[in-house]
Amino acid sequence: MSLDERITPEQAATQVGTASGENKEYSVIGKSVGRIDGRAKVTGQAKYTGDLKFPGMLYGKILTSPHAHARILSIDTSEAEKLPGVKAVITHKDVPSLKYGISPARWDENIFCIDKVLFVGDKVAAVAAVDEETVYKALKLIKVEYEVLPAVLDPLKAMDEGQAQLHEDYPRNLNTEIHQSFGDVDKALAEAYHVRTDYFVGQRAYQSPIEPHSAISVWEDDKLTVYSSTQSPHYFQYYIARQFGLPMGKVRVLKTHIGGGFGGKLEPTGLEFAGAVLAKLTGRPVKMFYDRHEMFAHNRGRHRQYMKLSTGVDQNGKILGVHADFVMDGGAYTSLGVASAYYAGALLTILYDFDNYKFDMYRVYTNLPACGAQRGHGHPQPRFAFESHLDNIAKDLGIDPIELRLRNARKANTVTPNDFKVESCALTEAIEKARDISNWKQKRSHRPQGRGIGIGLGAFVSGAGYPIYRTNLPHASAVIKVNEDGSSATLYTGAVDIGQGSDTILCQMAAEAMGYSFAKMQIISADTEAAPHDFGAYASRQTLMSGWAVKEAGEEIKAQLLNTAAGIMGYAVEELDCRDERIFVKDQPEISKSFAEVAKEFFVTQGPLVGKGSYTPPKLGGKFKGAAVGTSPAYSFAAQVTEVEVDEETGEVKIVEAWDVHDCGKVINPALLHAQVHGAFYMGMGEAVWEEVKFDDQGRILNSNLAEYRLPTALDMPKFHSELVDSYEPNAPWGVKEVGEGATTPTMGSISNAIFDAIGVRISSLPMSYEKVWRALKEKRKQQTT
Amino acid sequence: MYLPDFDYYAPDSVAEACSLLAEHGPKAKILAGGTDLLHKMKHGELAPEVVVSLNNLNALKEIRYEQGRGLIIGARATQNDLATSPVIQEKYRSISEAAHHMANNQIRHIGTVGGNIVNAVPSADLPPILMALGALIQLVGPTGKRTMLLEEFFLGVHQTRIQGDEILTEIIIPEQGFTGSTYIRFGLRRSGALAVASTAVSVTMDGEICRGLRIALGAAAPVPMRARAAEAVLLNRKITDELLEEAGVQAAQESRPRNSIRGSEEYRRDLIRVLTRRALKKAITEGHV
Repeated sequence: MSLDERITPEQAATQVGTASGENKEYSVIGKSVGRIDGRAKVTGQAKYTGDLKFPGMLYGKILTSPHAHARILSIDTSEAEKLPGVKAVITHKDVPSLKYGISPARWDENIFCIDKVLFVGDKVAAVAAVDEETVYKALKLIKVEYEVLPAVLDPLKAMDEGQAQLHEDYPRNLNTEIHQSFGDVDKALAEAYHVRTDYFVGQRAYQSPIEPHSAISVWEDDKLTVYSSTQSPHYFQYYIARQFGLPMGKVRVLKTHIGGGFGGKLEPTGLEFAGAVLAKLTGRPVKMFYDRHEMFAHNRGRHRQYMKLSTGVDQNGKILGVHADFVMDGGAYTSLGVASAYYAGALLTILYDFDNYKFDMYRVYTNLPACGAQRGHGHPQPRFAFESHLDNIAKDLGIDPIELRLRNARKANTVTPNDFKVESCALTEAIEKARDISNWKQKRSHRPQGRGIGIGLGAFVSGAGYPIYRTNLPHASAVIKVNEDGSSATLYTGAVDIGQGSDTILCQMAAEAMGYSFAKMQIISADTEAAPHDFGAYASRQTLMSGWAVKEAGEEIKAQLLNTAAGIMGYAVEELDCRDERIFVKDQPEISKSFAEVAKEFFVTQGPLVGKGSYTPPKLGGKFKGAAVGTSPAYSFAAQVTEVEVDEETGEVKIVEAWDVHDCGKVINPALLHAQVHGAFYMGMGEAVWEEVKFDDQGRILNSNLAEYRLPTALDMPKFHSELVDSYEPNAPWGVKEVGEGATTPTMGSISNAIFDAIGVRISSLPMSYEKVWRALKEKRKQQTT
Repeated sequence: MYLPDFDYYAPDSVAEACSLLAEHGPKAKILAGGTDLLHKMKHGELAPEVVVSLNNLNALKEIRYEQGRGLIIGARATQNDLATSPVIQEKYRSISEAAHHMANNQIRHIGTVGGNIVNAVPSADLPPILMALGALIQLVGPTGKRTMLLEEFFLGVHQTRIQGDEILTEIIIPEQGFTGSTYIRFGLRRSGALAVASTAVSVTMDGEICRGLRIALGAAAPVPMRARAAEAVLLNRKITDELLEEAGVQAAQESRPRNSIRGSEEYRRDLIRVLTRRALKKAITEGHV
């Protein structure tokens, strides 16, 4: 289906394949119902954290370092404190000195820097005042005396002797070192018909959510409430409680609407910690926020990776072994980088079936903003590298790139060399469909000057097999409460809708499981006090994991209702079913009662009608170091074909048309799914051609704004087709799988290969900017004339 | 991200505006669309004590054609006014097209042609096409008004011949015998990106012979510049593709682009070659586009 043709939700629903293994008709899922928050958002009623106001609320901001690496000699806050309207100024002396982070293996951040600042933007002090303008003025009055130290900005030099050291505990700036080996790569490469080595370089990219981060901290006696623009109230609650020595029950974290996260709002920031302290000191609510520049400086965006790939193949192009040797620029702190580093190598095994694999990785500290998880977490750059590398091999062997992929494509019910169990997998079907709908064969053989077409594959976890910190809590849980008269039901879940639509699809799932209707569902989500625990929106986990909990809760409601109905109607429970708000006798559907009527009777006789559910994934993965990263109950697969047109004189790259075919299991809401694929492609193409965070030689960001950090515009978007293949995942509720992150993983590779096809030269670094393409063509012409 | 404190005036006449500027001298700044001024003030790059708004001077928004005088564009006309004006579209569609393809729709709704000129940045989109069309500008001060060629107005980045108490009131495109004109910009995405290089041309063709032309380059030097050596390549010659390429090479040679995060000097220079050749070809074959 092509979304550039206007389609109704009903049409969209009918175009989705029914899941194989499931011939059942569904009442609520599989339909493109409108978003539950759609009306509030399009009318402007939706309140984001930054819109909230509380009586007496103060405004807070953080003072950051102007130097990439410096010793703090003194901090004088006296002038700032004297400014009328300033209510509190705090530094490291006023906050706990306990180190925090999001990766427990590497807690390396302090709320405020104590001795040293490690990048331009590192946190030094904070102010709370009666209004924003006063806060900005007060920040300028804080005097910090620095002794500037040599900085290390180049990750390839950071490991050398004699370079500046960021953290005492990490000699040679080595934050994470990984050496994994499966099978015998050396032997596989030695025996291979053809071995190729390629080197690729990624770039620093930033998530750029439209909504800036903000957090409002409110104390009532010894209880802290934080309204935050977050992807995971749970992790915020855990880390805030830990930092201040509070029981988790004394910390409530909740969100309102969220304007996107893409991985950048998964970990607590100075906004929550500093805000909590400022609110405590002043006895007033404090709103903290980042402006656009501060978002870029806080970062936690995509790591720049340096990627060397060596692959051996037989003469038919069958992959025998792969060695991935990577370096990653981590920036000044760990953030989620340990996981990013493991993901970079872990997911390289998922798409193609080979036995011998070796992965070496060095994640190094530099005096630049810390990098973390960005949509596709660690995987998109290595995937770009591998898809490009594979096309180079295809060219070496004279095999069509799609044919080479089909020969190596992973099949259902297989296990990767690094012990990931793949049950559903319709990758071959996806590749074939992408080939056919893009008219690949015709376009490959008859290409006009400057045109090119390329393919890239992608895949991702449907939820991480293990949580970020060690705990035996279930990964997801849910409660459904039916109103006393049965006229509505409320789903309570810790799952976090950050714009992707989880509130909508979880309500669809709840209604389906209950035999109820979507229109009567309400939801209270992502509030650590009002809703039960869930780890939140990351690793593409909610449709599968939160979905399991919701399904179980809905089924419990249905079971209780049928039980009550059996008594009223005089039938055995087994003879009854409920759907579309009607409880009916299976063999004689005309004998029925309304859901509401029975629900009310239940309440009168037995009290509140409540269902609950929770989900913990089975134990997954192997026993080697780092085996947990990349495990998942299920994996999505995608094939993407992109056609580009390159202006051979200017290097301008125009993405002309793109076709995405996804294996993402049973689809709950086709319109939301295709919107995810569109957004993922948009993001992937931005990183492919346009986006890059740039620094000067002092470590200062040169383009921390939306004019010079060039996200593509609507005019840059190509004609885009999002299609599906029939698929059913046995480990998931109704057979679902993820789509949000996996859809962004094939894009850079498919565009890279399309440009390669168009100009015959490989651009091996990201972004594949117009100037790089121009330069490559210039070199090519020079070589042709000599 | 906050504006510093300043006094605000919104005079009802150009004369009153000029006397306010004269009174406050360098402490005062003119506010037209504000897309540049307010941004700079919020980022602490400018802190005028007095802001004189032209907001009440509606006569400066007028766009008209006067027989004998030519096309007259009020300095407060927005870029979208230029893009949508039937008068401009009829006379020199190339100006409308240039305005339509610059910045983004929000900016085009508020940014003015006068601001785009007086701000004097190398990458500005309107000066090249206006220069190529031989535009004059009118400056009004407390003691009267003066008119000069737009191409003589620029002295450097953010530097022009305007006096502190003068206001740019209108742009005049005199009647000339052009057969074609166009502006081609090269940005790093399709909207909302500054020009990395740009070329505007006007041509007067007599069959295959080029009897007159102007080539104006943007983002090619500290100021919008005429590529006179490139013009000389074509003047009174029979136009061929080879000659157009030669003119492009010449324009690239006489340009003085700089390195920036948007593009290297080398890249910009080659873009100027390509854009110049393409713009000439387009204006010669398609007219005012």
